[in-house]
Amino acid sequence: MRATLRPETPRVASRATAPRRLLALSTLIVAAAATSSGPLAAQDTRETVRALEARFPALRFNPPTPREARLSNGVQVFLQEDHTVPTLSVRVVGRLGTSNLPDSLWAAAWQADGLLRTGGTTTLTPDSVDKLIEFYALNVGFSTGQENSSASASGLSRYRDVMLDLLFDMMRNPRNDTSRIRETVGQVEESWRRRNDQPASILGRAWSQVILGDHPFARSLVTPEEAHAFTPERLRYVQGLLFCPDRFIIGVVGDFDQRAILAKLESLFRGWGRCPPGTRETPPVRYAEGPRIVLIERDINQTNLRMGHTGGLRVANAPDYFASQVADFLLGGGGGFNSRLLQRVRSDSGFAYSVFSNWGAETRREGQFFAGAQTRADKTVAALSLMWNVIGSMVAQPVTAEDVQLAKDNEINSFVFGFENASQIVGRQISYRIDGLPPTWFNIYLQGIQAVTPEQVRQVSERYLHPDRMITVVVGKPSAFDAPLSTLGPVTTMTLEEIHR
Amino acid sequence: MRYRTLTTLLALGLTGPLAAQQPSPGERLPVVRYVLPNGMTFLLLRREGAPTVSFVTQFRAGGVDEWTGISGTAHLFEHMLFKGTPTLGTRDYAAELVMFPRIDAVADSLTAEFRKGALADSTVLRRLRDRLRQLEDSARQYVVSNELDRVLTRNGAVRLNASTFNDGTNYYFALPSNRAELWFVLEADRIRNPVLREFYSERDVVMEERRLRVETQPVGLLREEFLQAAFRAHPYGRPVVGVASEIQTVSRGATEEYFRRYYGPNNSVVAIVGDIDTAQIKQWADRYFAGIPAGEPYRPVVTQEPPQRGERRIEVEYDANPVVMIGHHVPSAMHPDSRALVMLANLLTGGRTSRLVSRLVVRDRVAANISAGTQPGSRYPRLFTFTGVPIAPHTTQEIESAVYEELERLQREPPTDYEMQRMRNQVEATSIGRIEDAFFLALQTASSEALYGDWRQSFRFDAANLAVTPADIQRVARTYFSRSNRTVATLVRPPRPAAGRTN
Repeated sequence: MRATLRPETPRVASRATAPRRLLALSTLIVAAAATSSGPLAAQDTRETVRALEARFPALRFNPPTPREARLSNGVQVFLQEDHTVPTLSVRVVGRLGTSNLPDSLWAAAWQADGLLRTGGTTTLTPDSVDKLIEFYALNVGFSTGQENSSASASGLSRYRDVMLDLLFDMMRNPRNDTSRIRETVGQVEESWRRRNDQPASILGRAWSQVILGDHPFARSLVTPEEAHAFTPERLRYVQGLLFCPDRFIIGVVGDFDQRAILAKLESLFRGWGRCPPGTRETPPVRYAEGPRIVLIERDINQTNLRMGHTGGLRVANAPDYFASQVADFLLGGGGGFNSRLLQRVRSDSGFAYSVFSNWGAETRREGQFFAGAQTRADKTVAALSLMWNVIGSMVAQPVTAEDVQLAKDNEINSFVFGFENASQIVGRQISYRIDGLPPTWFNIYLQGIQAVTPEQVRQVSERYLHPDRMITVVVGKPSAFDAPLSTLGPVTTMTLEEIHR
Repeated sequence: MRYRTLTTLLALGLTGPLAAQQPSPGERLPVVRYVLPNGMTFLLLRREGAPTVSFVTQFRAGGVDEWTGISGTAHLFEHMLFKGTPTLGTRDYAAELVMFPRIDAVADSLTAEFRKGALADSTVLRRLRDRLRQLEDSARQYVVSNELDRVLTRNGAVRLNASTFNDGTNYYFALPSNRAELWFVLEADRIRNPVLREFYSERDVVMEERRLRVETQPVGLLREEFLQAAFRAHPYGRPVVGVASEIQTVSRGATEEYFRRYYGPNNSVVAIVGDIDTAQIKQWADRYFAGIPAGEPYRPVVTQEPPQRGERRIEVEYDANPVVMIGHHVPSAMHPDSRALVMLANLLTGGRTSRLVSRLVVRDRVAANISAGTQPGSRYPRLFTFTGVPIAPHTTQEIESAVYEELERLQREPPTDYEMQRMRNQVEATSIGRIEDAFFLALQTASSEALYGDWRQSFRFDAANLAVTPADIQRVARTYFSRSNRTVATLVRPPRPAAGRTN
């Protein structure tokens, strides 16, 4: 399981992406009964645990909600004070990302964040910006994502003004100094050169291309040709589209005075006009349909594989969406070692260290369902068929009431961990706002999960999971496989050159 | 515009943060240290905030404590500590105990055949592997697999995991605070009575972890070989995940032996941070852990790496672009020079304005990245390592030359006032930032107590960093970075195979 070897990434490594939205009731009262000072450690741990669970005192907890304010230009601000330590963190989130620009600007948008950080401002050279940031021990960063963008700064709260002046200057007046564009181009070229050095990178890029085609969501790498077309003006244009006030939401967390920080933010926005035109809606996403097996040959002793198809659901599709979340938990998501994929593929068979599923749903569109693993080459076909079977078992051997209860108990009891610190509390409200979800979505989510039945889990699995129609992408060395992949179905071979980016 | 000039800004009101020698904020935390008669040490810290509690147990039992032939066992045992006890994870423990010797006998035969190396009979190997698999599968009828995980999952535990490193092993999770007693029940049971069920399939899982992190990861592979080249005597040269052939053959008996030697309560430190009632926690500590007999006292590794006599250079062939690691032997974290070495790493690679990054990455665009730090542990003398990633057509040699030039230049040109103040400001910010998070605090205090015998020590390092002078940095630059003390490992592509061959 377990077992992370430092310094690498922890646990069931993979279940990277999928934001699992967390849950909650406004006042959570879990389990009843009191009294501790029970018996000495009993002989039977299972019984001791059961007895203990029956008498845990209730957890009284009101999920904190951040303060809300609106600046005179309409920008919404969420604030959560926390004076435990003298630090301050400010995050500005914009509701547009790389997919909202014409394709011809995609690459510039993808790298625009790095140049906001390194390219200097109209009044400060790039070196001066670097010096200020590092001298004051600030963290200043920008990010252009697929459908949103952000700028953030944090550091000791006594440097509030330096931090915010700098952040807004970098955001409003980027210089995109040509020396730093050259640096970025060099980095892009080198990333391009190294794109096939790791199996996971090959799999991830091939997967995106196969399932998403040429949709901007499929792209995660800028080509050298695209980078060579960068100019200060082009980058400035893109930065102006993505970072502009009408689409901002701001989160402020830490050691600050509310009135003072709002006044400061007001002053920082002074004279910053409306957003320019030039953006678009994200193009519709169409997931490719299977069945299809794609093989990419690499001389490695461990095969990387991923399988999946459309997730079929949006967040608004209640109650199916909630049932799909429970299904994913029990198949290979949050259920961890008690999920079927980990139990069967890892614990019972020893085929893989990392195996997972991820059934995504978004507010704006259907998400993806996929499952993945890394397995030794001579168990590739065995592991692949086992995973198909396990996915199919969600219908063939439906989950039990006890399984579903595990998911529900986990949601209720881990609820409080969604509110452990001020950043989580503010961050959650910002993402709800961006996704168009109500501020109490955590309540709705928790209640939705609590209402799921085993039969609903079976039904959504039957309706939306199709192991016989999945796209499967395999990166590995076929001569070392336990059987030809073709025993599982027709195989298309893809070369590294055919992965466009 | 909001700026005057850069110089005035930098000069503004920065008279230095903490005066040197003042305690860093972490040292002042009201941690309660509570030691049971059996030597088990608890560090308790109550924090305001959400009703949650973080638990970290660190054992002074890591990769360095393995003996010849069982590399990877510290880590494999860590996996096994999630497999249950005589009363958790089982349907019929007595029946399991009957199966274990039968399974082990087949595993021993398999190892005996495997020991023949190239002369091993592949048919016999296959037959024994199949038999081992069948027997362990049939033992599963008595197992409730992953029951520990199930109990914790339904109780809302988060961050449930563990990690094994050269100097020790950590186990951790967090619970809602009303369920804190659960940790005591489960942790006391598993460190007293672990049952190594599902052992051989888990050995396979660990082998997959090795393939994932090392054998298919060029930088993981480079790092492994780099450490092996630099440490010829000390166990820091041995991979924590284990050598493949040893992972594939380690026995249940050897793994149990590892547990008996190193998992006494006196060899562990527990940190509990969050919404706790300290008096109640002490009661539970007594009730659940005091009855566990103490084990052997911890004995640090006796082996010392002999002084290196001459530069060592290795190449690691892999179908990937080049990376270089440059290592110099330096003392353990407790040695006074380690503070100046931390500052030296910051001076050279701590950010875009540092000497090496500003030169190699920003100005000359020779490297995509250059970083420095010590590895692989803290308790024993280790390697100060530069890791460089060139941008083609620039080479690892160019990175090497720049590193050596900057080390030499440092011996001539001391850090400037600006550089010193930048680094001190960063140390101060770090010393504050590191006490924000409850879980991270539990990790840090447990680690500091286990490694240095004092939870405050790693916070004291911050204060000591602030006291480092430019002359100290120059002195360590002269002391440790000689060519004869150096090991260089470079990732290179293998020669192209002759036409027609595909392997």
